[in-house]
Amino acid sequence: MTAISVAAIAALELLGMHAQSPEQFGRLIWWAHIPVFFLIASIVGFVRLYFNAGRLWLGYAVCSLRLLDLIINFFSVPNVNYREITGLRHVTTLGGETISLVQGVENPWVRVSELSSLLFLMFVLDASVSLWRRGHPGERRRAMIVGGSMIFFILVAAGTSALIEAGVMQSPYLISFSFLAIVVAMSYELSLDVVRAAQLARKLQTSEAALRESEQHMGLAASAAELAMWMWDITRDELWTTDKGRALFGFAQSEKISFDRFLNVVHLEDRDAVRQAVAEAVHGAGEYESEYRVVLPGGQARWIAGRGRVEFNGGKPVRMRGVSLDITWRKQAELEAARQRDELAHLSRVALLGELSGSLAHELNQPLGAIVTNAGAALRFLARDAMSREKLREILEDIVAEGRRAGEVIRGIKGMAEKKDSFRQLVSLNDVIIGVIRLTRSDALVHDCTIVSELHPMLPKVEANVVQLQQVFLNLILNAFEASQDVPKAQRQIIIRTERVGDATVLASVSDFGPGLPAEAPERVFDQFYSTKKEGMGIGLCIAESIASAHGGALFTQNAKGGGAQFFFQLPAVNEVDL
Amino acid sequence: MTLAHTLVYVIDDEMSMRKAIGRLLESDGYSVELFAGARELLGRAPHGGPSCAIVDLNLPEFNGLDLQRALAESGRVEQLIFITGGGSVPTCAQAMKAGAIDYLPKPFRDEDLLRAVEQALVRASEQWVKSSQRKEVRARLATLTPREFEVLKLVIAGMLNKQIAARLGTTEATIKVHRGRVMEKMGVKSVAELVVLAQRAGIAFESADNTKV
Repeated sequence: MTAISVAAIAALELLGMHAQSPEQFGRLIWWAHIPVFFLIASIVGFVRLYFNAGRLWLGYAVCSLRLLDLIINFFSVPNVNYREITGLRHVTTLGGETISLVQGVENPWVRVSELSSLLFLMFVLDASVSLWRRGHPGERRRAMIVGGSMIFFILVAAGTSALIEAGVMQSPYLISFSFLAIVVAMSYELSLDVVRAAQLARKLQTSEAALRESEQHMGLAASAAELAMWMWDITRDELWTTDKGRALFGFAQSEKISFDRFLNVVHLEDRDAVRQAVAEAVHGAGEYESEYRVVLPGGQARWIAGRGRVEFNGGKPVRMRGVSLDITWRKQAELEAARQRDELAHLSRVALLGELSGSLAHELNQPLGAIVTNAGAALRFLARDAMSREKLREILEDIVAEGRRAGEVIRGIKGMAEKKDSFRQLVSLNDVIIGVIRLTRSDALVHDCTIVSELHPMLPKVEANVVQLQQVFLNLILNAFEASQDVPKAQRQIIIRTERVGDATVLASVSDFGPGLPAEAPERVFDQFYSTKKEGMGIGLCIAESIASAHGGALFTQNAKGGGAQFFFQLPAVNEVDL
Repeated sequence: MTLAHTLVYVIDDEMSMRKAIGRLLESDGYSVELFAGARELLGRAPHGGPSCAIVDLNLPEFNGLDLQRALAESGRVEQLIFITGGGSVPTCAQAMKAGAIDYLPKPFRDEDLLRAVEQALVRASEQWVKSSQRKEVRARLATLTPREFEVLKLVIAGMLNKQIAARLGTTEATIKVHRGRVMEKMGVKSVAELVVLAQRAGIAFESADNTKV
């Protein structure tokens, strides 16, 4: 717009030079005010936008005064500059060209135009100074070139026109040249910007290519690692995932996925756990991690490990990004390992039962003997017709009690011999220990050992496989019997103790007063096929330890200060309050 | 001589078991005394009649074998029947070798136990009779003078009065008087009776061969 305005002004000036009459000249000046208005307005706009500087009110004032000038000009005859144009002078220039110059009486309203020019000058000056002050090299240059040239040429233009109008200078109006210089300065700056923009675009292109490349690398890595990437827009509840992800979860290519749709493919048993893991991540933790099964359209299950991170905006969760991985193979291997561990545990349990069989027979024979003998006595009394109802009731009651007792013994060992899937339940460690002590009572008699139990009365429960816990204690107690074999009778004591360690752990210990463990490496007793016993297989403690660690606990040992071995079985406690 | 009253001891640390055995024996008419441990039996004064004991081998602290040993050491004779909830063959053999009547693993048939008790009491009665007779003979023997005792020993050895007189350096008439006194004091009429009594009393009589020397 600046350029067009300058061109229009130049054209009007050219016509003015060849004006044949004062009326015609005045008319041309009248017309010239229109492009001048646009010129000034466009420069003000340019400075404001391009410099991003200059006082806004000053800019408005400049434009308003110019507009006022235009309006006054509209109603002035011949124009706002002259009240009356008295005549034209014809001057011959250096090139021999004859041009017309105006002569007339000055219009007082022209001060509006001059005030506007003054404010315009101030506006540009102010903008340039503040631009300069920002100190950035590019902006300083801009202030120098564009601002400086503007100030200079505005001064020139305003000065010459004032001189011409005052009749001091015998010259035609040549505002257009000054403004042309401004336009040149402006376009120089703009062209520099164009170059810079082109450079920026090129740079952008390269970095975009690099980004694409790194995306490709990532995609390649993801697909090589069989990773599915996903992003969940929480506010809109939309899940985006890679093709791999759709394949992993069994979603159709074009299907829209919401969180509920995702939960829908998660195995029913794992759904609550996944929902909770996501809720925890979204409502604070920020990190999501879970392992679950998805059920594919074909009905088969697939194990998935998912990991993600929530992005928050002002404390509000907006999206979660993450990856998912098919871990079916790993899970199968884990399950297989667990199955083998259970199998081994079962085998060693059966071996332990073999060691215990004498003891168990005794525990069973005792009540069975009492039952048979009681019944025999009753039959004999009956045959002799020498029994009161009272006596018969007494005998029968005893028979019932002993039958129950035999049942308890069988229940106590039933699990030990059975080959069951490991399932866990809340149990009291004290109850398990009391049961095992009962099982080994006869063995204790045979070995002349006394078992002393010091059980903590307020022991928190543990989540465990009861049979496997029994196995661990049975193992430790039978070992303690054997360790006590070669010490004097008075020393044959086994102490079983339970205690709580903080809120999170329960600790049970089995101590004997035997010869103790090999001093150089007591922990070797947990090694496979290591045994200090002549007929030992070296399996029992190894399995006991694997049972302990499968329960998130530990089995460790030390030689007691007063001699003998001490075994510690540590398990995570279940806080009753949480239940 | 009247047969003294019999008594059966039952020793088992399991109350239910000793009660049951007690009932079984009572149903068959026996008198029973129950004990929870072997030491309690040793603390009781011996019964004045034939007795036997049914003992659990696997008693805590002081077991059945310990009791058997302790009885032997104190010279007290008691017929023992061992019962066990699951004992081993060596302990069984050991118990039997030391003179136990029987060894019954629980649960046993009541006839087996009753038969063992009967057998034990028969043996105990025999012993009781023997020992009471021996006591009686010994009491009579104690009334004899040393000279009369000498004569008795030679009479049951089968010597004639003349031989005895020669042996003791006295007259046949004197021996005849001594012999009459011995028969009278011992309450027998024939030499054969005297021999039986002497056997009961456990008097080693000299063989006829010795007399020739």
